[in-house]
Amino acid sequence: MNSENILEVKHLHKRFASKGVVVKAVTDVSFDVKPGETIGIVGESGCGKTTLGRCIVRAYDASEGEVFYRTRDGEELDFLKVDRKKMKSIRKEIQMVFQDPYSSLDPRMTVLDIIKEPLKANYPKMSKAEMDQRAKDMATKVGLNPTYLMRYPHAFSGGQRQRIGIARALILNPQIIVCDEAVSALDVSIQAQVINLLHDLQKEMKLTYLFISHDLSVVEHISDKVGVMYLGKMAEFAETEELYAHPLHPYTEALLSAVPVADPTVQIERIPLQGEIPNPANPPSGCYFHGRCRYCTEKCKTETPEFVELKPNHFVACHRAKELSLRGFAYDTKPEAKDE
Amino acid sequence: MEKDNIIEVKNLHVDIAMTEGTLTPVRGVNFEIKRGETLGLVGESGSGKSLTCKAILGINDKKCKASGQILFNSKESGEMDLLSLNPKGKEIRNVRGKQISMIFQEPMVAFSPMYTIGNQINECTLLHITKDKKKAKEISMEVMRKVGIANVEKRYNQYPHEFSGGMLQRALIAMALVCNPDMLIADEPTTALDVTIQAQILELMKEMQKEFNMAILFITHDLGVVARMCDRVAVMYLGKVVESGDAKTIYANPQHPYTRGLIGSVHKIGGKKEERLFSIEGTVPLAMNLPEACGFYDRCDARIEGLCNKADPELVEIEPGHQIACFNCPHEACKAQRAKAEQMIKEREERETAKAANEPAKSKKKKWGRK
Repeated sequence: MNSENILEVKHLHKRFASKGVVVKAVTDVSFDVKPGETIGIVGESGCGKTTLGRCIVRAYDASEGEVFYRTRDGEELDFLKVDRKKMKSIRKEIQMVFQDPYSSLDPRMTVLDIIKEPLKANYPKMSKAEMDQRAKDMATKVGLNPTYLMRYPHAFSGGQRQRIGIARALILNPQIIVCDEAVSALDVSIQAQVINLLHDLQKEMKLTYLFISHDLSVVEHISDKVGVMYLGKMAEFAETEELYAHPLHPYTEALLSAVPVADPTVQIERIPLQGEIPNPANPPSGCYFHGRCRYCTEKCKTETPEFVELKPNHFVACHRAKELSLRGFAYDTKPEAKDE
Repeated sequence: MEKDNIIEVKNLHVDIAMTEGTLTPVRGVNFEIKRGETLGLVGESGSGKSLTCKAILGINDKKCKASGQILFNSKESGEMDLLSLNPKGKEIRNVRGKQISMIFQEPMVAFSPMYTIGNQINECTLLHITKDKKKAKEISMEVMRKVGIANVEKRYNQYPHEFSGGMLQRALIAMALVCNPDMLIADEPTTALDVTIQAQILELMKEMQKEFNMAILFITHDLGVVARMCDRVAVMYLGKVVESGDAKTIYANPQHPYTRGLIGSVHKIGGKKEERLFSIEGTVPLAMNLPEACGFYDRCDARIEGLCNKADPELVEIEPGHQIACFNCPHEACKAQRAKAEQMIKEREERETAKAANEPAKSKKKKWGRK
């Protein structure tokens, strides 16, 4: 394991079997994460981004592959292989924020109980007073009024509930947070509040985020590096600006051209992506994307492309990545006046 | 009512009586849509967008009481006020689904899982166009083909669970278009879909609009989608339209603080990468027992104390076709309104002090009833 990295995902596979059909939800995904970074994972629904996140917190056991993790004490381990007891101590350091703030909080627990539940599970000997105190401090940190903690989740709005979810994830003082569509269910103005909060907390607590989302503009704002997933495979992985400005995979190009831009004067020519994401139980041969790709050749239909580092820190899985020149977002070419 | 307008909503109120008091989610909405035009209705959840459009079709819950005027310029029966019609009567049924139709937010929920897609599209055809079942099936299939559903013969007999989200949304659009309506209400039609599918659906809607020359009322909270789809935009906040105008004008030159905040909180790809996004603090208040004040007062960064919390600004025109409801705005019309409001507050306060001086004994009066 590289000494700079906090997390290394190597050739991760996850297969689900049901009624004799094997669904490959995640196929051969590899990437590295440095401490303090934010990694964005984007893709259409059904591309396996949530499964990937859940494999990383080990809510699912991966079918194959390794996830190396450096604990706070500096110990390196492949936590897909550690036993239950050890796993419990590692889980304190890897926490998750869920998508839907309406269904991820128990309606029959007070907010105080929700926030301190991780403490109860992990520090059974801690006194009640200390737990309460910690929960209150954490609530203040995420911008909740501690006097409201005796209320139940239904009394809070969507944005506040997401803050509760964040407080619950942070109370164990983790190193890595997996945010699975953490802001997707919120209104734009509330989204901005929560994103700002995540940003501030990252600086303050030196957190590493794995930010899973389908919203490309939010991911561009928050991430240092972005991975694009398609049908369980990583199609492209690079630093944010590099990926958005110079995409190497045709899928990334199409995805970027479909993002609605909040400016009626900008007319982006959309690259049509025919059809829909294929069934992962019965994926196409060769490159998974070939049926929808406009640059498809005979080779793409039969041979599976390797996930290679084409430019420094820019990984892509496409046969024709070298020869194609794809269109990304033009950075800093718009006049300044348009920026609010 | 002007001739080229297809619909005019005038001073629309929706009240919901509850045990705790009366909820007023829509408090005087005004807008009009021309034939073939797309109006975007934008706002956070809880701002009354959906109730407004449901009021047009008269499909709000029984508890909701709508008042005001919704004038509809019907091809068949001329001008009519949709609100005055009996929500269960013949006239509104002739409008609903035929002349004005609606696309709902979640295609998975909008279809009944018990019937085939074809059956559900056909329901509309049989009701409004023809009683001949064979003909109706042909018409329905033709529309399904138009909205880009491949292999229609097979798809016609499939159930909703056999469709993907994007395909279902296409089927829903087919159902809305089968009677060739004059106006389409689209309530967050792409919110539940992926960006690539969203782009396909939006393009489809634009094509269909051209082909059928429909007016579209497009409800969404996604400003990117509005920029792509709409000719004009009306921004709603707490049951009122706070700014309306040409889409280009509003994006380039938003005047109301709420619109500014809304546009500012969207991160633009390729824009300057600021550390923090602009955010509007707080949340939309509950629309109950609202004081006579600007609804946005608590969250506004341009509020004027003693004015904005004592009077509610009306929608005034600052440029041709650009209206705004705010006191703190340098335009002439707003200034005039502000002066008027200041005058009114002053008079009211004087009256109140005079009243208080005249009736000092009132507070000593014995109170009846339970505390």
